[in-house]
Parts: sequence; C-alpha cells; structure tokens
Amino acid sequence: MRWLRRWKIQIIVLFSVLGPGFITANVDNDPGGILTYSQAGAQFGYSLLWTMIPITVALIVVQEMVARMGAVTGKGLSDLIREEYGLRMTVLVMLGLVITNFGNIVTEFAGIAQSMELFGISKYLSVPVCAVIVWLLVIKGAQKNVEKIFLAGSFFYLTYIAAGVLSHPDWTHSLIATVKPPTLESFREKGAVFTVIGLVGTTIAPWMQFYLQASIVEKGVTKRQYAASRLDVIVGCIFTDVVAWFIIVACAAALYAHGFRNIASAKDAAEALRPLAGQFAFILFAVGLFNAALFSATILPLSTVYTVCEGLGFESGLDNKFSEAPFFYWFYTLLIALGAGVILIPGLPLLKITLGSQVVNGMVLPFVLVFMLLLINKKELMGEYVNTRFFNAIAWATAGVCILLGVVYAVGLATGNS
Amino acid sequence: MTGLTLTDLLGSPVYDANGTAGGRVREVAISPQDDLSRVSAVIVKTSSGDRLLPYASISAFNGGVKTSKPFAEWQLLEGSEGMLLLERDLLDQQVIDVHGRKVVRVNDVDLYRDTLNQLPILKIASVDVGARGAVRRLLKGAVPSAALRSLLRRIPPRAIPWEFVDLIESDPARRVKLKISNDRLAELHPADIADIIEDLAPDDREAVFETLDHDVAADALEEVDPKFQKSIVESLDSDRVADIMEEMNPDAAADLLGDLSDEHSEAILREMQPEDRQGMRDLLEFDEDTAAGRMTTYYLSVEFGGTVADAIATLRGFEGGPAAVSTIFLTDSHGTLVGAVPLSNLVLAPSTQPLLSLVTEPMISCHQETPENEVAELFDKYNLLTLPVVNDQKMLVGVVTADDVVGFLRRKI
Repeated sequence: MRWLRRWKIQIIVLFSVLGPGFITANVDNDPGGILTYSQAGAQFGYSLLWTMIPITVALIVVQEMVARMGAVTGKGLSDLIREEYGLRMTVLVMLGLVITNFGNIVTEFAGIAQSMELFGISKYLSVPVCAVIVWLLVIKGAQKNVEKIFLAGSFFYLTYIAAGVLSHPDWTHSLIATVKPPTLESFREKGAVFTVIGLVGTTIAPWMQFYLQASIVEKGVTKRQYAASRLDVIVGCIFTDVVAWFIIVACAAALYAHGFRNIASAKDAAEALRPLAGQFAFILFAVGLFNAALFSATILPLSTVYTVCEGLGFESGLDNKFSEAPFFYWFYTLLIALGAGVILIPGLPLLKITLGSQVVNGMVLPFVLVFMLLLINKKELMGEYVNTRFFNAIAWATAGVCILLGVVYAVGLATGNS
Repeated sequence: MTGLTLTDLLGSPVYDANGTAGGRVREVAISPQDDLSRVSAVIVKTSSGDRLLPYASISAFNGGVKTSKPFAEWQLLEGSEGMLLLERDLLDQQVIDVHGRKVVRVNDVDLYRDTLNQLPILKIASVDVGARGAVRRLLKGAVPSAALRSLLRRIPPRAIPWEFVDLIESDPARRVKLKISNDRLAELHPADIADIIEDLAPDDREAVFETLDHDVAADALEEVDPKFQKSIVESLDSDRVADIMEEMNPDAAADLLGDLSDEHSEAILREMQPEDRQGMRDLLEFDEDTAAGRMTTYYLSVEFGGTVADAIATLRGFEGGPAAVSTIFLTDSHGTLVGAVPLSNLVLAPSTQPLLSLVTEPMISCHQETPENEVAELFDKYNLLTLPVVNDQKMLVGVVTADDVVGFLRRKI
C-alpha cells in the first residue's frame, strides 16, 4: 500500500500549488459542459471545432481580467459594481445572475440524476440524498477538504482525451476543422446558432467571473503576487478547453460518424467512451459525471449566495452562526432545495434543460462583460493595470459576438427556424 | 417624516428665486474643515454645467429645492477637492461602524433640519445600512411616493449615528483634505480593530492602519490574522514597521519578522533600537514550535532575597501585558531561576515579607526547546497561567503565557 500513500502525497503537493484559476476551470467542466460538448460533437461532427480556439482566447482574456481586478482592487466583482454603479444597477445584475446561476444549479442536479440513472438509481432517491449531502458538506465547512478529493476526481476528464485518441478520429479532418474559419452556410444549419451560444455560455459562464474574482480576493493575492495567479488562470483555461476539444472529438468519432446525430440522454454520451472503456464506458462516464455534478453543486450555490450577499450588503460567510447571517443561510438552503426540487418534477426533459441553461449563460454573458470592461478601464480603480488595447478589443469583440448570436437566435426563434 | 434623506434630495429639481427650474440636484456636499456633520452646499446639474449653491442660499425643500438666488447668480463649480460629496464618497461605499465594530455599506443617508445662530442648517443624522434605505433607493420614482412612504414606515430602520461612522479613504492626500483621522476607531479594543481591518480591501486596510498611532497599531497588528499581517507590513516603510514592532510583544513581533523575507526583516531590524534589535534576533533563532518560539521576553524578575516591597517597585516599571504580569519570578545574580511568586500571593502580603516565603511549590519550568504540545500539556496539568522558560544553564530566558497556548490549541481544533 506504500505506493498508494506516495501517490496520494504527490497529488496533495500538486494541489497545494494549484490555485483559484485551475479550480474554476475544472468546475467549468460541469455536467452542462460535458453534455454541451458531447451534443456539439454528436450533432455536428467536427464542424463546430473552429469555435474552440476563439472561445479559448476569449476565456483566457476574460478570466485574466477578473483575476487582475481582484488582485489590484482587492474587492469582489459585485462589490465593485455596487461602489461604482450604485444599488439599482447592482440589484439588476444580481437578479440576472441568480436566474442564470439557478439554471446552472438545476443542471448540476440534473447531472446527478442522469449519472445515477445510469446505475439504475431513480432520481427520486439520488437527488434528495445528494442535495442533503451537498448542504451538509458546505455548512459543516468540510468543503475545503472535499474540494481536493473532487479535484482528484476531475482528472477523470483525461479519460476523454484517451477516448478521443482511441476512437481513431480523422485527425487531419478534425485539426483542419479546428483552424478553418466557418462558412456562413454552417450557421444556417439547424441548431447551429443555439449550440454555438451554448458552447460559449458553458465555457465562459457568468458565474465563473464572480467566483474567480472572489477566490482571488479571498486568497489574498496582491498586485505583487499577481503574475503567479495569471499563470494559474491561463493554465486552467487551456486545460479545460483541451478537455472540451477532446470531448467534442470523441463524440464526433463515436456518435456522429456512426450516424447517431442526436444525444437523447446521458446514456448516449457515455457511448463516446466505449472505444476506451468498452463495457465500462457507462461506469466511467457515470462516475465522472457524478463527480463533476457533485463538485459543481457544492460550489455554485455557495458562490451565488456570496455574490448576492456582498453586492447587497448582507452579512455573509460560513464562519458566522445562523443567527448572525440569516439571509445567507436561508438563501443558500433555498437555492439547493429549489434546484433539486425542479429535477424531481416527473417527465422533465433533463437533457434539454441542461443544454438550455448553458445557452442562457451565453445570453447573460455580454451584460456581465460590459460591466467588467467599464470597470477595468477606470484609471482611478486600476491605476496602471487598466486593459491594454488588445485585451479591450478581444473582450469587446466577445461581448459583441455574443449579443449578435443572441439576436440571431431570438430572430430565428420568432420566425420559426432555429 | 421630519427628516430628509439623501435619496429624497438627489435628482430633485432646483428652482431659483423667480420660481423657474434651473436644474437638478446632483450632489450634496460637506466641508470637513468647517463641520463634518453639516451640509455646506448643494451641487446642481444644469444645462450649462454644474453649479455650486451654498446651503445658506437655500430657502425651502418641499417638492424640490428652492433657492433665494436668481439663476444668473448661481456660481459655477470650480472643483470639488476638499469637499466630501455624499453621493460619490458615502453612498454605496464601505464605512466603519465604530459602535457595532464592523464594516458596513451605506444604503442611504438620513439628514435632519436644525438651526444655528437662528439660521436653518441641514445636518447628517445617521447612515442607513439596512433594508429601509435599500428599498427607498430601489423604488423611488418607480412607485408612487405615498405608497412608498407607507411601505418604508413598516420596515424597521438599521441606522448608524453619524458620530459612530469612520470614513475610509485610501488616497492619503484626500485623507488629509477631508480630515479623516479614525480617532474613534483607535479607541476600540485591538481585537475589534483587527477584525475591522481584516474585513477591508488591501488598500483601505493599509490606509486605516496608517492613521493609527504606533502603540494602537502594534496592539491591533498582534491580533490581525497572520496572512494579513504580512501584507500590511509589506506595504509600510521599514522604519514605521520598526517603530510599531518595538511596541509589540516581542514574541508576536518575532513571529511576524520570521514570516517575512530575509532582506525585508533585516531592513526592519536595522531600523530598530539596539536593545530591541538584539532581543528580536535572539528570539528569531528559535524554532516557532518550541517554548522559546512562543515565549515573551517581557517578564518580571526580582532578586530572590528581596521582599514584597521590591517586587512592587519592579511592577511599577513593567512594560509587558496583563498576562505576563501575573507571576513574579525570582532569580539569582546570574539570572538562574529560583522560584515563582503568583501576583495573587503578593497582593495581600505585608511589604516586608520575604519573597521566598511566597513561592509556589513545586516550581514548574521548561527548557527552551520543549515542543509546543508538551508546553500545552504542562499548562493543562498544573493549571498554569504562565510558564518560565530556561536555557541549558537553568537561566530564565522568557515566559510563555496562557494566551499563546490558547492560540496554539485553537489552530489544532
């Protein structure tokens, strides 16, 4: 058993070095992410791979911006919005954030339900039990230790990389598809705009910006130590998108290539792992999906509650007793209860909800981006750390493209072809 | 309501002497050099730029602000340095609630009308940090005012009186202009000051810290969480750090020095007084997890042949804190530890009584390299308040106090 202990020690050492950027990136690969990437690969094959590079660049820019803001000002994003734009604006942003985060929370519980169904466990059992587990884990403050276990479990995503390789994809085709710019035709394909917004929304989710900035502040990163954090953020972003790329490729090779164009359930997504794990594809996928869902379920509701409490000036923090921070604890409990509760409604199309919530992310993202851009260009706030022209260009372009895609999608919905 | 709030004032129309609307209220200003709680002027946004209306020229407040000056005489705003502008500097910003001992965010500002030398004035009563202020800000203009007023009446107010509010301003030049001094903060218990400091953003934290006197800063710094201690110290000049560290308990100062980089701690040590510097260097030699790493070098020692009167004389010159004062140690001329006399034994004894007759038996002490957990065991077993620390020659080198042990044990929980 000695080799096991040595292995464990090495993992622990590795994690003590990894920071908020890496953790955020891993939580990014939540059930919403896994299933959106799987659907993109299954439905469109390699043809949406071109989105990966622009999305990765945008993700790095956006995450770096929030990390920089957190390090330079020492305040969270909702605090900054409150101080610079006042209460009304903050309330609007918080409302928007709660709505999209709630969609994501529902998705995490949907992930728990779907992964457990792969083992034949009914959602009526798995979801309430896990909701209680998540609630206890966080309230009892064991979350920090559990975080390390979850992070270890996240290395499950490496199996997608392996699956991607073992599925004998058309390397030439996929690599070309990654760098070739899209044609206007490809956008007209049914569901393409929807999926692209989903891809953006699941990779650059609004909640991540608030969570990362708050983590940077909590870690006490200052202007001087910022360079190390920046590296941590970039590495995290690249890692998460490499995994995303492989998920798309694995599903394209396993599903699209064999004519399974639509993922109706998580079971189909598990098929993508068959080249690697054969019979055990289901088990690997289910365990990994469950791990991702549970991990995100412990982080997302908590992050939402912290953000809202800070923005609106409510007492927050797990070191407070219930009586000292009633809104904090009540709101947290409500988010978990409602999030889990929605999943228990019979006959709910869990997959559709999952994919839809990521699209909502993509629609709300531009508004958060605009605030971030306005704040990060304020000299009195950021001093010499304001955005360079390059960063501004990328960030504004990202916001602009998201708005454009959203408008196109809305128009498509209204005219009946989306 | 006889009071007026900032939200009511902001954005309301301003009429000049002839009754024509000239603009809208953009800001309410205070001149701290004159009076930190009285409104000195109102800034009006007009189509031809911002105008400054001194409060004296305002005649009424109902349904808008009425001034006695004709529009043509409204003074153009030159600049706003030296003025505290309530919307920009107070609303939605963090301030220190000195009474509640925490950091809060301002939702609204409650004003009230008063008279001074028979002239009407407007003063700040309190800042609203609760739901009432928040709801008023959110719904004003969106909901009819009568309905809003009755809704607001039902929400219990959470307000902090203006005299308990300490402002936070990270720009030192503005701090001077606005006379922000954090005097009231300095009167709180160091542990409460530390809590407040920990709640602030780094720039604000350093700003507040810089306004404190050395001894207050030292006591507060001791109570601040180590990770913030480091970042605060790194932002100050070495000589100011040295001044503060000289006021701190030596063990706390040594712990902090040990956490800094070698060159930074050298720079600080060089700025210290020679006698403090040597004591610091000695303490830094020891491993943090041993008795010597936790001990303080401020202890009371008296020659063992002395009387109660000698001990009381030594007490008068003592620089250490309440924990270390609880025991008087008896040493010989070489500094070897001979005995320990608890303060309680001393208090009731006649002044001529020899100290040796008041020592507790047996005398408990520990070697300087005793590990922390054994130190804690000794405290528990013998119900100690203080534990003398000796070196290989049995000479007294320092004292571990109960609060150090409590801190150590809490880290284990």
